[in-house]
Amino acid sequence: QEIDMQAQADEIRTVFSDPTNFNVKHPLYSPWTLWFDSPATKGRNLPQTPISSFPQTPLPQTPGNVAALGWMEDIKRVITFDSVEEFWGLYNHIVAPSHLPQKANYYLFKEGIIPAWEDDANKNGGKWSIQLPKDKNRSNIDKMWLFTMLAAIGETFDPYLTSGEATEPHPQSLVTGVIVSTRPQFYRLSIWTRLAPTGQGDEDDKLRERIEAMGRNFKTSVLGYSESQKLQGPLATEVEFLSHKDSEKKGKAAKKIVI
Amino acid sequence: LDLNFRKDSKDLPNPPMSALATARVIANLNDVEYPEGIKSPKVELNANAPAGKFRYDRDFLLQFMKVCTEKPEHLPPLEVLGLEPADQQFHTMSRGGSGRGSRHGSGAL
Repeated sequence: QEIDMQAQADEIRTVFSDPTNFNVKHPLYSPWTLWFDSPATKGRNLPQTPISSFPQTPLPQTPGNVAALGWMEDIKRVITFDSVEEFWGLYNHIVAPSHLPQKANYYLFKEGIIPAWEDDANKNGGKWSIQLPKDKNRSNIDKMWLFTMLAAIGETFDPYLTSGEATEPHPQSLVTGVIVSTRPQFYRLSIWTRLAPTGQGDEDDKLRERIEAMGRNFKTSVLGYSESQKLQGPLATEVEFLSHKDSEKKGKAAKKIVI
Repeated sequence: LDLNFRKDSKDLPNPPMSALATARVIANLNDVEYPEGIKSPKVELNANAPAGKFRYDRDFLLQFMKVCTEKPEHLPPLEVLGLEPADQQFHTMSRGGSGRGSRHGSGAL
């Protein structure tokens, strides 16, 4: 009988076999933090902002940094989680993008990375993004954002990691975070990366291929378009990659990759 | 700072520790048997993952949507975040501003 009790104590119960009394959970590859901002979060003191949760990284007081700090003060930390079960508990209790107010953003970033260019993990990177007209996509955006988050937390965005091409033992994902933005006329989805091709150096071609594979994966598997589908239109863009350094330049100097 | 988010928990009579809080982390996915009808995660995704770190395919993850309904313990009230759903009615009336005319609860999905 003792053995029976022991066996019972050791039994693995997932949330599928016992939704209220499960005893194991599925860890994520990395912990993630969800951040949020909207016009309504401005000036609210609570809860934590990137500044209050990472006070150890003071930035020099240049005008650009001061602006960035002011902006980050308005971003609120929602929660940090590290298991599949916690992700869904959060998802089931939070507002979907189609119901967010205008000019709002969700930022889902790996724990410890601030959703800003200034963070060390982002400063040499860039982003894949797509802009979608609001009226045509109100019914799609929630699913697109969900699939974007699932590819991020499931760590399947970067095909290089799972294709067997990687030669190093535990290659690091290029993804640092994902963002959904609501604007009066459109939605935008973005995938931020640690690195961006620069057009220079021996490894640059490889990096560019890897970044492009991520973009194709985003367009086809995550967003559900066919690879050759043309998406550009009024208020709509293709799936495009731009390094953060080129984004700062704005104008013509920016070299986009378009999938 | 966290203390401020627990105001509402005072009202509850010592809730039992949730399964989410006490469950242990799976160390080896091969140890887990899923009930009939539940797909296991794709093994090939984890061929080169370090021990105890897992990648999960979307089909596997989506299966949790309906069963994981427990509200996370540390989720601050959404109003505190300024995270209230836009009121569709007021939206179309071009009131401008942040659509605060009428609030609809916490806006769970």
